[in-house]
Order: sequence, then C-alpha cells, then structure tokens
Amino acid sequence: MGGRISIGLTAALIMTVSAPAIVHAQTEAQKALAGTEIRFLQPAMPQFAAIGRFIPEFEQKYGIKVTVDEIPFDQYRQRSLVEMQQRTGAYDIYAVDVMWLAEYATAGFLEPLMQYVKNGDLTDPGYDIDDFLPRAISGTGVWDDVLYTIPLGAGPVGVTLRRDVAEEAGVALPPRFDPSFTTDFMYETAKKVHNPEAGMMGFAQMPGRWFWGITYLPYLYAFQTPETVGNEYVDKDWKITINNERTIDSIEYFVSFRDFMPADSANWGIDEATAMYQAGRAFGLWNYQDFIKGFFEDPEAHPEIVGKNAHLHTPAGPHGMIDPWYGAWSFGLSVDSSNKEAAWTFIQWMTSKEIQERATEFGAGPSRHSTYKSETLAKHQPWWVDVYDFMLKTTNPDERIRVPEWAEISDIMGEEGNRVWIGEIDAATAAANMERRMTEVMRRAGYYIPGRTDLPPQHWRDMSYYDRLPSEWK
Amino acid sequence: MTDSKAFAGMMVAQPAERGKVRRLLSRLGPGNPAAFPWVLMAPTLIVLFAFGIYPFLNALYIAGQNIILSRPHAPRFFVGLYQYQSVIQDPEFWHALGVTVWFTVQAVFLEFWLGLGLALLFRRITVGAGILRTFILIPMILPPLVAALIWRYMFYPGGGLVTYYAGWITRALGFGEIPFLSDPTVAFHTLVFVDVWEWTPFMFLMMTAGLAQLPRQPYEAAEIDGASAWRIFWTITLPLLKPAILIAVVIRTMDAFRTYELIVVMTRGGPGNATTTLNVYLTKVGLEFFDASKAAAISLIMMMIIIVMSLIFIRAMRMRSQSAA
Repeated sequence: MGGRISIGLTAALIMTVSAPAIVHAQTEAQKALAGTEIRFLQPAMPQFAAIGRFIPEFEQKYGIKVTVDEIPFDQYRQRSLVEMQQRTGAYDIYAVDVMWLAEYATAGFLEPLMQYVKNGDLTDPGYDIDDFLPRAISGTGVWDDVLYTIPLGAGPVGVTLRRDVAEEAGVALPPRFDPSFTTDFMYETAKKVHNPEAGMMGFAQMPGRWFWGITYLPYLYAFQTPETVGNEYVDKDWKITINNERTIDSIEYFVSFRDFMPADSANWGIDEATAMYQAGRAFGLWNYQDFIKGFFEDPEAHPEIVGKNAHLHTPAGPHGMIDPWYGAWSFGLSVDSSNKEAAWTFIQWMTSKEIQERATEFGAGPSRHSTYKSETLAKHQPWWVDVYDFMLKTTNPDERIRVPEWAEISDIMGEEGNRVWIGEIDAATAAANMERRMTEVMRRAGYYIPGRTDLPPQHWRDMSYYDRLPSEWK
Repeated sequence: MTDSKAFAGMMVAQPAERGKVRRLLSRLGPGNPAAFPWVLMAPTLIVLFAFGIYPFLNALYIAGQNIILSRPHAPRFFVGLYQYQSVIQDPEFWHALGVTVWFTVQAVFLEFWLGLGLALLFRRITVGAGILRTFILIPMILPPLVAALIWRYMFYPGGGLVTYYAGWITRALGFGEIPFLSDPTVAFHTLVFVDVWEWTPFMFLMMTAGLAQLPRQPYEAAEIDGASAWRIFWTITLPLLKPAILIAVVIRTMDAFRTYELIVVMTRGGPGNATTTLNVYLTKVGLEFFDASKAAAISLIMMMIIIVMSLIFIRAMRMRSQSAA
C-alpha cells in the first residue's frame, strides 16, 4: 500500500514538475518550422517595447527568426496599408489598431485566425481562447463575425493627473470611475493648479489636427445624454448626426483648456504633451491604459513623477456619461504571408497566458481574465485591476464606429476642431462643417444608395453581440 | 567524341551567326541614317517611357477609374471625368491651391532677390570668399527632410533654440511668446522662412554662374558714360542675366510648388489647414485615404498648373527681352 502511495506521489511530483514542459512542448508541426524567418511591422509604443523583450526567448525556443520593423505611431497606418495593398507579403505579421480593423478586414488584407486557434498542431493545448475577455476579442479582432486579430492588451482611455500637485492646491482627487470626477471638476482643478510662473500648466491637451480622433472623443461622449448615446456620429440609417449642441459643447469644453497651454501649442500631439507632463510641467494629460507604465510609472525613465500620479477614467459629462471606449493593439496575420504557420506560432506564443502575464512586468497590458487576475499584474501595474470590471461590463468597443471610412471621418474632425482651437472658426461652424464633409464621405462610400442591403450592421446598439465567448467566432 | 562534334558544329554555325550580326548592324548601324539615330536614342527613350510616359499614361488611366487601394475587392469601373469634377468641386483643393501659390510666390521672390544680392556682394569680396561660399551652400546640401527636422526642433514649443530665445526677448519686451507654428499666418511665414533659408543658396549659385558669364564691354561703356551703379544694375546686369534668371526661377517655382517634406515635418499641414499645400492634400488623399483615382486626378491637375505657370513665365520673360531689344 505504502509502495503504491509512494509511486503515486512520485508520479504526481513528476507531473507537477514537468507540467510547464508539457504545456509548452512543441508539436512536430512546430518543430518543422525551425529555420523560418518572419517579419513583423509594429509602431513605436511602450507595449511593443515590453513584448519585444521576449522575442529572443521565442527565437531560441522555436528556431524561428523574427525581424521587427518599428516606425512612429503617427506614420504606422499609412505604412502598413501601403505594404498590405502591394500584396507582396513583405510582412507576415502586422500590429493592428482597433480602429483600423474594419479597413484592413474588408480589404481582405488579414487572414482569419480561428482555423489556427483550433489547429492542435500549431496551437498549444493550454492556449484557451476563451480566457480572453469577450469584448477585448470581439472589439479588437472580430469583423463581420470573423476573428482576424488577437489583442495584445486592451484598456480604456483616461486621464493622468498629478496627485501631489492637486493636494498642494487643496484638491482631493476622487478614485477611478467615481461619478464626482466630472468635466467641471477637471477644468476647475486645472484652473486652480495652473501656475505658468512656476512652470506648471493646468493641463496638456493634444489639439494637433491628427490627434482629435483620439483625445477629443472622450469629451464628445461625456457631453451625450442617455438618449443620444449611439447616435454620436450616425443614426440608424447612417445619416451623419454630429451637428448638434452636444458636439458644440464638447468642442468648446476641449478648447477651453487652451487657457492653460502655451501660445505655440496648436499642433501638439502625444509627443509634445507627454514630454511636458513627464518633465513635471503639466498637471494633467490624456492617457491610454497601456501607456501608464511606460510613460508615467517607470522609475528609471521618469523618476520625477513616479508614484505621484492618479490614473483616472476620462471625466463624466453634465449628464453623467463617460466614454465607454477602449483602445487596443493586436496581432494580425497577413493574408499574403508565405510563413503563416510560423507567424501564427509567434502570435499564439506572444498572446499565451504565460507571456501575457510575464510581459505585464515590463508594461504590457492584459487582455485575458487570467492576466487581469494575476499577482504579477497586481504587483507591477496595480492600476489595471480597477478597470477589469469596466472592460467586462461597461466598455463599448464600437463606440468610435468601426467602419472603413473612419480615417477620413477622424481627419475631418481633427481639421475642423483644430481650426476652432486656433480661433479661425467657432465650434458651431466646426460642427456644421463636420456634418457636411462627413456626409460627403459617406455618400462617396455608397452608404446612401437607395435599396442597398449590404451596409455594415451597427453592433453598438446591441451589446450582447460583443459578449459572445471568443471561441464562438468564425 | 560527342563534345568534339558539338564543337565542330559550333564552328560551322559561327559564320552564319556572324552574317546575322552583320546584317543587323547594316540595318541599324551608322550605314542606315534613318534608323541609327533611333538606336542611339533608344536607351534614353526607354528610360523616358518607363519613368515619364508610362507613369503619366497610367495616372490618366487611374484617374478615369474609381480605385481605392484599401478596398481592393470593390468593383472598379470607368468613371470618365468624375474624379476631376470631384477635385474641382472640393473646397479643400482650392484652399490648398491658394496656399501653394502664395507659398511659392513668397518663397521664390525672396530667394531670388536674396540669392542675387548675395551673388553681387560676393563679386566684391576678395578675401575668404571661398570659405564663405561653402558655408552659404550648406543648407542646400542638406536633404530636405533633415533640414525640416532641424528647424522643427529649433521651433519646438517651449524648448527649441528659436522659441526659447525669441520667447525670452518677447517676454522681456512685455509681449507673449510668438506662436511660430500655431498661428495660421505665423506658421505659414515660418515655413516660407525655412524654405528661403534652404533654397537661397541655389539662387545664389545660379546667379553667381550667370554673373560670371556676363561680358565686360557693356559695363566699361556704362562706366565711361558715368552711369550710376543702380542704373547699371537695372539696365545692364538684370537684362543680361535673364537667361540664368529664367532657368533658376522656373526650377525653383516648380520645386516650391511641390514642397512636401518641410511642411509635413514641421506642421503636417496645420494648424487647421493653414499650411496644407497641394502636395500635402494629395498625399492625404492618396496615402491616408488611399483614394488612388482622386489622387491621380489631383496630380494631373497639379502637373497642368505647373506647365501653364512655366509657359506663362517663359513667355513673359521672352516678351520683356524682345521689348527691351
């Protein structure tokens, strides 16, 4: 009996010790990929820097060489589309921003991924696609019910404020998602701490023309009412609806932060505004959850501000509305790749439970339940824990209407908004111009052809669409 | 054995091959005056067709279609002149055209007069002229992208060399900071300034070469007649320099009309659309919205504008020369 027990214990011990090895054991199909070279195009972003640390480990494990080309964020869409439309397969893997999936997928540039996810020869048995947050997968990677990309990290946009500066001014900052953090509160606090003589500006906005589609939108949503949510840009018939009081109020609110910024800031984007905050010269800044570690809480890079920040959601508007959107980058497999199996092996390894969790130590964000719940994340990036519930229940990944025309819509918004910032036109004129020009974009794209039945569905009006289990997508 | 047979066969075939070559040479060689010039021009014509005529014909074809590169599966069909109509009806196009023309006029005007002034000045400098000339030419040698980046950081809000010292001075005088890249008018003129900085050396070089070619006799005659330096400049130097001026101004006008790197790097066409030139607008349509057909129509319209402008300028210069003669 005792012998049997000891044999059982020994077997259990062997199983426990070798479990990780079994999980990560390579299949014959994976072993056959050794010697392959794959190329990956990515933007220069903190989260890509975080996962980049793991590439040598991947290369050593699988014998697949990975070449990474990194280009500035604001040039990434242009470069990636130029490469994709040439159909040369120059890159096997593309980083895909959540906003561009519609454009890439409808063009047929990306390979559907579920066939690889379900391929036991290429995908580790422990990969568990259902471990991803449903809305992170459906919002980031699904277009027309087909899974095209796997998210790297998915989190909401927000604002980062200097807690110490607020306290010095006698202002207590509320916790994240607290309804008391409103647009009025944020403006008044910025006004209170604004002190240009002491080198502290109340807030560093990003009014540059190219950035409105990112940094102004939280305020467009904040100024909605419960009745107008979902109709920010278009109604159910795809008629543009942006020319209204809520848009005008939100533009005026955004532009009111000009009071706190230098005269020469009309072209500021993420580089300029972030540099100001990092140098300790601004009280507040727009943020994206994935940037927090790299931009604000890295003790080696930014010792002046580490630990002094409050990372909040964007403020609630006059009717209590907050921006429900989230941003995410994901891995997309090029339909023209000649190394699809090797490329998928890289994607599944980089988005595996183990690597996702380990990468959080260096600033990568989570998109899996297991990563959100991990001790590693809680230890190295505790600010993520607060947004787990939001990402499960509140976020609406389609709030920025993911249609192939988004790039033009966003550009129009930026140009007209920026003209308000520089005082060339008023907010009412900008809203009217936006509506006129966006209508023309939609008209050119064929949205108003009578009797057309193949227009994309407006999923944001039915959130149950996003809550399907990831494995249910095609 | 087999090899030697094959070799023998080759030896037999060689005279026949030589005969073919001879016949070909006699048809296309110097012996045929109708064909030989075409043979000599063939490499040039091939290059011209590959890099000039074919792209032009292809642009014409694309502008007659509805091609959007990011929608490769969308049906493509002939749309006639719709893309040109779409461009002409687009207020953005007219705004960009206005910005481009105004930018070109200001930049080329300043570059020409500064370049000519420097060239005249250097005629009088005898010591260290070579070193000074090298320094003056440096901006032109820099790649436009590098020059644009240098100035972008010089005008960087708050921390750039220019913004820092200019801000320091204006604050001391009781004014605010100068919004070099944020005020529509100031940003536009900042770009003109940088373009002038970069391309005045080109004008200087062209004018220096032009001045070196001028004959001495008219000047000697004018000096004997007691003409003032001002009068000599207006009645002798400037008219005699016209060929050099024509070439320099036409080249610079075409170049300034197509300025791209400087604007994209420094303002990206902003603030608002204050510095959106035709090239920036074209790039946005072509490489951000991937509307290849509309972009092709814009580029063809741009080409027509440049050709018409050059023709008008050349004609105006000729008319002046004739009236002066």
